[in-house]
Amino acid sequence: MRLFIFAIGGTGSRVLKSMLMLSAAGVRPLDENGQPVSNMELVPIIIDPHKGNEDLKRTEAMLSAYRSIRYKLYGNRTDVDGFFANRIVTLREIMRDSSIQLNDTFIFNLSAVERNKFREFIGYDTMNEANQALSSLLFSNDQLENKMNIGFVGSPNIGSVALNEIKDSNEFKAFANVFNQGDRIFFISSIFGGTGAAGFPIMVKNIRQAANLDINNRDVLRKAPIGGLTVLPYFNLELGDDHRIDKADFIVKTQRALYYYKETLTGANDSNLNTIFYLGDQVVSVPYLYDPGEHGQRNRAHMIELVGAMAPFKFAGLPNSQLSDDNGYPLPSTAYEYALDKDTLNVDFKAMGAETRALIYSKLVKFHLLFMHLNTGFKDTIGQGYTNDKPQIKSDFLASQFYRTLADDFMNAYKEWITEMYNNMRSVELFNIGEWDMNKAIHDVNTAKSFFGRKSVDNNVFKSVMNNLSQSSTYAPDEVELKFLDLFNRAADKIVAERFENIN
Amino acid sequence: MKHFVFLGIGIAITLVFFILSYSQSFNIFEQLYFNQGFNDQLYNLSMYPVLALIVIILTWGAAALYYYVINSVNFDRWYHWAGVLGITTLVSPIVCYLYIDSALKNAGLAYGGESVQFAMQLLLMSAVLFVVASFSMRWWSTNCRHTPIPQ
Repeated sequence: MRLFIFAIGGTGSRVLKSMLMLSAAGVRPLDENGQPVSNMELVPIIIDPHKGNEDLKRTEAMLSAYRSIRYKLYGNRTDVDGFFANRIVTLREIMRDSSIQLNDTFIFNLSAVERNKFREFIGYDTMNEANQALSSLLFSNDQLENKMNIGFVGSPNIGSVALNEIKDSNEFKAFANVFNQGDRIFFISSIFGGTGAAGFPIMVKNIRQAANLDINNRDVLRKAPIGGLTVLPYFNLELGDDHRIDKADFIVKTQRALYYYKETLTGANDSNLNTIFYLGDQVVSVPYLYDPGEHGQRNRAHMIELVGAMAPFKFAGLPNSQLSDDNGYPLPSTAYEYALDKDTLNVDFKAMGAETRALIYSKLVKFHLLFMHLNTGFKDTIGQGYTNDKPQIKSDFLASQFYRTLADDFMNAYKEWITEMYNNMRSVELFNIGEWDMNKAIHDVNTAKSFFGRKSVDNNVFKSVMNNLSQSSTYAPDEVELKFLDLFNRAADKIVAERFENIN
Repeated sequence: MKHFVFLGIGIAITLVFFILSYSQSFNIFEQLYFNQGFNDQLYNLSMYPVLALIVIILTWGAAALYYYVINSVNFDRWYHWAGVLGITTLVSPIVCYLYIDSALKNAGLAYGGESVQFAMQLLLMSAVLFVVASFSMRWWSTNCRHTPIPQ
């Protein structure tokens, strides 16, 4: 099954980044029996005209890093366990129709939108006087003058016009061509901004009205299971003189958009959207720097994005019977909400519900231990123990593109991500930030008790368990990278289960 | 399979050592050091096989201790192995000397200087047998199978 994930706007990129982190940790969508969904491929498509958005750029860089790491580990295989388990592909990679020109990127090409001011985009200057008057009534002067390469600056009314062009794009045609029976579609967007709030309903409308478009797979698309994550206001902005985006408008815009969604997407008998996840928090974030777009918009990662990242996994694991009727037609919307187990400002694993812990706890802990091991112990291990088993991990491994991408690019981004979440409000305190002692890595979780005190976890324990596992493992000569991460993953499985307190 | 071949070769070498220890025509203990009276007494008192057994047990025992009891990532460097080799190489001749000295005294004989010289040759034999034992059994050690050199 392919899950096409349209991440719209800044929030879309940030949630996608959290989803990448979970995927890197090995979190996979689980079906109703708790088994990983088989043959799963994720196809993220970022829709954001604001190419200079730092959050988008960070997510794009991570997507590329993830993709190259995963390819080196597993090639094109899908059903694998371990770190970087989910296969993530671009539209270009899975496209069959080579007549469609497409860049090998995760970003939807919106060049037609980006290069114009909104007034140029709608041809304001060529309108007759009556239409100009009507346009001036619908759009403020600021909005008409808005250069759209910085996004829609919190204005869904201009976004809804500009993004309507999407249906004619090569990306949309390519998506329609590769979409098959059994695939699913998921949208990630905020409801209180401009790009996401506008893009989400437009995209759903275009997919459901596929019969009117000149594309393949119209019928399959019309019946496609569609889910969406709608992020309600969760962050705060610093006060500024410029009021193009005003946090005071967030709630009002949300209310109006929710009414609109109810009319067009999520009504009781409405089958446009099968599943919707509502997510928000009355505890607002640490105020973000006010930046409508000109300075890159780089916001701290947030707990809402981490929780939101689980929504596509949940959606991918839902049984077909909850999404389509016996004839394959989509069922009306089912709404999901999320609650913490404990309403606290410092969210650790124990504050999350049992279902969340079951999904992410051991995976994220293992990934964090990998992060620590790469920073504190791995280099000293080379030339000893399991690294000498065939295929050997030699010192030149440290200079390889794979290692640099993993240990530098990806792990630095991971560190940034957990630190940003920790420094935000609510503070996500899954791990003790800055702590390099593995025994104290997990917040409020000790190592297990033993006869002589508490069990110990350190790089030597990992080395020993990996030595043991390596004795009974076989890897092909070109699977050095897989050998390292697979052994570490299996060792971490054992160590987390046996040497840390069980909080599940 | 390769590892079992090494084990087989190691056992074979050790058996040959043991057999040659009581051989009359080619006694391995008499090749490096020979003193007519002293060696005759060792042979007549049937001490050669016991000495061979002491060396075998100590060297194979030390190798087994290193690879399967110590067997730790804290002691998996070549110099840790070399340390055990050194200790074994020293301990084995000392134990043999004490045994020879005790047996000869019980027989009312005094070969103090010869006993020490004879024990010196066991330094080399113990070292060789420890290496043989190491390369016979190290392959199945969890943490030290690549010590002293990678497989």
